[in-house]
Amino acid sequence: MIPSAPFLCYVTDESPSPVDSVRKVLEGGASMIQLRHKSASGEQLYLWAKEMQDLCRMHNAVFIVNDRVDIALAADADGVHLGQEDLPAREARKLLGPKKIMGISASTLEEALRAEMDGADYVGLGHIFETSSKEKHSRPLGPEAIAAVRAAAGIPIVAIGGINRLNAARTIASGASGIAVIAAISRAPEPERAARELVSILQHQQ
Amino acid sequence: MSINTPAMLPRLCIVSSGTDPDGSGMQIRRQLRLLRPSLPCLLQIREKHLDAAALFRLSLAVKEEAASRNALILLNERADIAMAAALDGVHLRESSCPAGKVRSFIGRMLTGKSVHSLESAVKAAESGVDYLMFGPVFDTPSKRQYGAPQGSDALGAICRTVSVPVFAIGGITPENAPLCLAEGAYGVAAISLFTDTVTLPELLETFEKLLAS
Repeated sequence: MIPSAPFLCYVTDESPSPVDSVRKVLEGGASMIQLRHKSASGEQLYLWAKEMQDLCRMHNAVFIVNDRVDIALAADADGVHLGQEDLPAREARKLLGPKKIMGISASTLEEALRAEMDGADYVGLGHIFETSSKEKHSRPLGPEAIAAVRAAAGIPIVAIGGINRLNAARTIASGASGIAVIAAISRAPEPERAARELVSILQHQQ
Repeated sequence: MSINTPAMLPRLCIVSSGTDPDGSGMQIRRQLRLLRPSLPCLLQIREKHLDAAALFRLSLAVKEEAASRNALILLNERADIAMAAALDGVHLRESSCPAGKVRSFIGRMLTGKSVHSLESAVKAAESGVDYLMFGPVFDTPSKRQYGAPQGSDALGAICRTVSVPVFAIGGITPENAPLCLAEGAYGVAAISLFTDTVTLPELLETFEKLLAS
């Protein structure tokens, strides 16, 4: 089960020790953690995943692994998050079974609807605003895309891309169940406080 | 030391060149078509530059080509993709997710692992892998990043210590393969040696004789 809306999801950056920031954002009230690290070895990912899954259980948060279904299964994570260039959602669902969470990235309504059809539990929709975390060549979708997907799709939306203190409320008001952030937390001087502030903004939207 | 060999484990392993340009597997399929019906082969797909979706598509294409050949297809690193594509197994790197953990969800699929020291060979053997791949035994451009060649003595020490089959990799040639086998290697593996599909048929014929004796 994904957390109840509205919630904060923290996606790890390429830091050499992502567990430290995960610990802090959980203290700050994040209820979903996604381990995303493209350059780490399988062994390293497994060790981080084990540690993060334990931390998430302690904080009643959900833990998912980006791309690597094998690591999610090995560490008994709560689920996975897959991009459009990862293992096809239907194949991943077969490996994960019906109970594990599967989130799928989408940048169009069509991708979001296909994700729902393929068994996704939520769609990661983005990028909503301008973002510096990942190389993006396309234009931001804007919060109106959230409303459009919300109207057509039956699964929760986690909005991602350039979400910060200034636009978080608008993002939730547009129909997102959660927000996913990388830079707004990882580049903040105090990640725990940055998480706490975002969570507080989300709660005032309820 | 007695060797616990999974039924029908081939003794020759071809590792893909890592240069499949578009994920179509053209090079790998070309290699597969040249295999000999009388010489069972392991073929390891090792294309680190491809994302998971491309690796999945490549795996399906290779599997289709392999259907009527005497080959078992393994995928490097990604047990999840190997399972999704219903390949024969997965080949783990020394730095991969621990083999025991992969075993817990991969079931009876073939599981091999690369090792670069006696210590990690012992550890991997205890974790329940079907075979080990040790190297680089001899000097080879494709394996220089893993350090200086370790030599056939180191290979022999591992073969005498662990009870799972060991493949020698790194600079293997028809000339030095008998030395590896004499040191106790179960089989031999190579990347660059098998890349040239012009010389591949003759090489395979040579290896078939070497491995039969």
